[in-house]
Amino acid sequence: MAVLDYKCPNCGGEMAFDSASGMLSCGSCGRKDNIEQSSDAPNPSVFAHGEAKEYQCNSCGAVIVTEPETTATMCSFCNSSVVLIDRMAGGFAPAKVIPFAISKAEAQKAFQKWCKNGRLTPGAFMKANRIKGVTGLYVPFWLYDLHSDVEVRAHGTKVRSYTRGDYMYTETQHFDVYRDIVLDYVKVPVDASEKMNDELMDKLEPFPYDQLKNFKTPYLAGFIAEKYNFDDRQLMPRAQHKVDGYIDSYVRSTMSHYHTVTYQSKDVDTTSRKAEHVLLPVWMFHYDYNRKKYTFAMNGQTGKVVGRPPISLGKMTLWFSGIFLASLISVKILSAAMGGGFW
Amino acid sequence: MLIAMMVVLVSPFFSFTAYAAEGKRMIYDDANLMDGNQRELLESAAAKYAQKRETDFIIYTTNNENNVDVEKLTQDFYDNKQFGYDKPHGNAVILTLDMKNRDIYLAGFYKAETFLDERRLDKIRNKITPNLTNGNYYSAFSNYLSTADRYMGFKPGVNPDNIVFNGWFQLSVAFFIAFFVVWGMRANAGGRVTVNAGTYANAGTSGIVNKHDIYLRTTVTKKPIPKPTNTSGGGGGGGRTSGGHSHSGSRGKF
Repeated sequence: MAVLDYKCPNCGGEMAFDSASGMLSCGSCGRKDNIEQSSDAPNPSVFAHGEAKEYQCNSCGAVIVTEPETTATMCSFCNSSVVLIDRMAGGFAPAKVIPFAISKAEAQKAFQKWCKNGRLTPGAFMKANRIKGVTGLYVPFWLYDLHSDVEVRAHGTKVRSYTRGDYMYTETQHFDVYRDIVLDYVKVPVDASEKMNDELMDKLEPFPYDQLKNFKTPYLAGFIAEKYNFDDRQLMPRAQHKVDGYIDSYVRSTMSHYHTVTYQSKDVDTTSRKAEHVLLPVWMFHYDYNRKKYTFAMNGQTGKVVGRPPISLGKMTLWFSGIFLASLISVKILSAAMGGGFW
Repeated sequence: MLIAMMVVLVSPFFSFTAYAAEGKRMIYDDANLMDGNQRELLESAAAKYAQKRETDFIIYTTNNENNVDVEKLTQDFYDNKQFGYDKPHGNAVILTLDMKNRDIYLAGFYKAETFLDERRLDKIRNKITPNLTNGNYYSAFSNYLSTADRYMGFKPGVNPDNIVFNGWFQLSVAFFIAFFVVWGMRANAGGRVTVNAGTYANAGTSGIVNKHDIYLRTTVTKKPIPKPTNTSGGGGGGGRTSGGHSHSGSRGKF
């Protein structure tokens, strides 16, 4: 079946995306091709969906074994970059992509540095010598442009106290409060891959949207890409949930001059104006420690690392005792300074 | 070896008993409110505090047959007995119980006048009055001794019952600080969410379309300001004895 690969027009060598220059670069002769000007938009609707397919590597002829979601990968025999072009046909073609800005070597180095910074991570983990795999992954995301109509009716009070004579007076002014608010949120990202941990992906944000490029397949050369498991309709509730908190805090901010606010009604109607399918760059790290697998993710543009490292009970105890003693001594010094003696 | 250990362990008691024996009398239970054993215990406690604070801790109970005012009673008692840890008519704190009029008076002389000022004596009096009213004289007296001793450890002028001075409070503050810092470190070990409402909001097209804030009414409530009350008609203040010794004081009923 249809497989795209990238051979150097000069020397026939293997070409891959170069994160430093943002171009397609030949590993043998160093030729660099500008991707933005190439015109290889995937041909939509040529292939029917759901066919049993077998892909063969153009370079060595080996069968490419992939998971059903994979759209770009490397041949496990000759390590050539291949793009399974027919899997990106139709609705699965991403509109935009943010390419990697961090190369594999840089990612590995940055991750090792991150491992050393953990204040509660065990010493052996910090050595970061058991990193099993570093994978550059284009994760499918939906970027939602959301429009929210918010209508709130509430009862607000302003309270003032004063003393006159032997009495303390509390004066409460009551208000009928009404707000009609429109809120626009643009490019709210929601990851569309079933495999990816939602919490992990949420923490990777923000992605620099000024790096968004029109999608071209050569960006995938040398990386693994996946197609989405959920469409924009299915993920709309998650997008709504992501902005719910923002809406609440905005509504509150418009009533901040009241001492108390009791909502009588609050209607939030959030609709999606646009949902764009994009691929966002994520470095994935798999790390075996103490016979357990740990997964970490790094934002392929900003280098932000997320993922739950193992926690050392010993270090936690040390920190706790240290802070406990330091605070106790501070409180004691304060007490002594106020005239209360140290003990 | 064993004998040596025993000597070491027991010797403090010996020296302590020796001190108490050679120290002067501090408990004058003329109204016979306690038995001999209780008096002994208070006597040794008072001796211990006296040494620590260089102040005599005196308890005086009387049936007051001549019906003298309790303050005068205290002053004359001090003048006659010449209390004072450092010298005759020196540092002393006296608790006088007038069983006839059910009056109580507390006085601090010299060092105790500065360290146990009126406010602190009032505090001590308020602490022990309920026990005295109920006839628990021994526990009231030992509470008086230990509280007076404790208060003398604070600089004059500060409130000795300030919660900052409380050891348990200090421990729990340190515990909570450490707990929350470590908890925060643990919670943030996996990376933090660094986007907020401003990240995705389009400020240009967002905003209030329509609003109103209609004034409805005003309600007013009033309540009387609580006045500071003196419990059991206390108060008093200090004075000067016939012998010319100035003192702090607190008097009340029980």
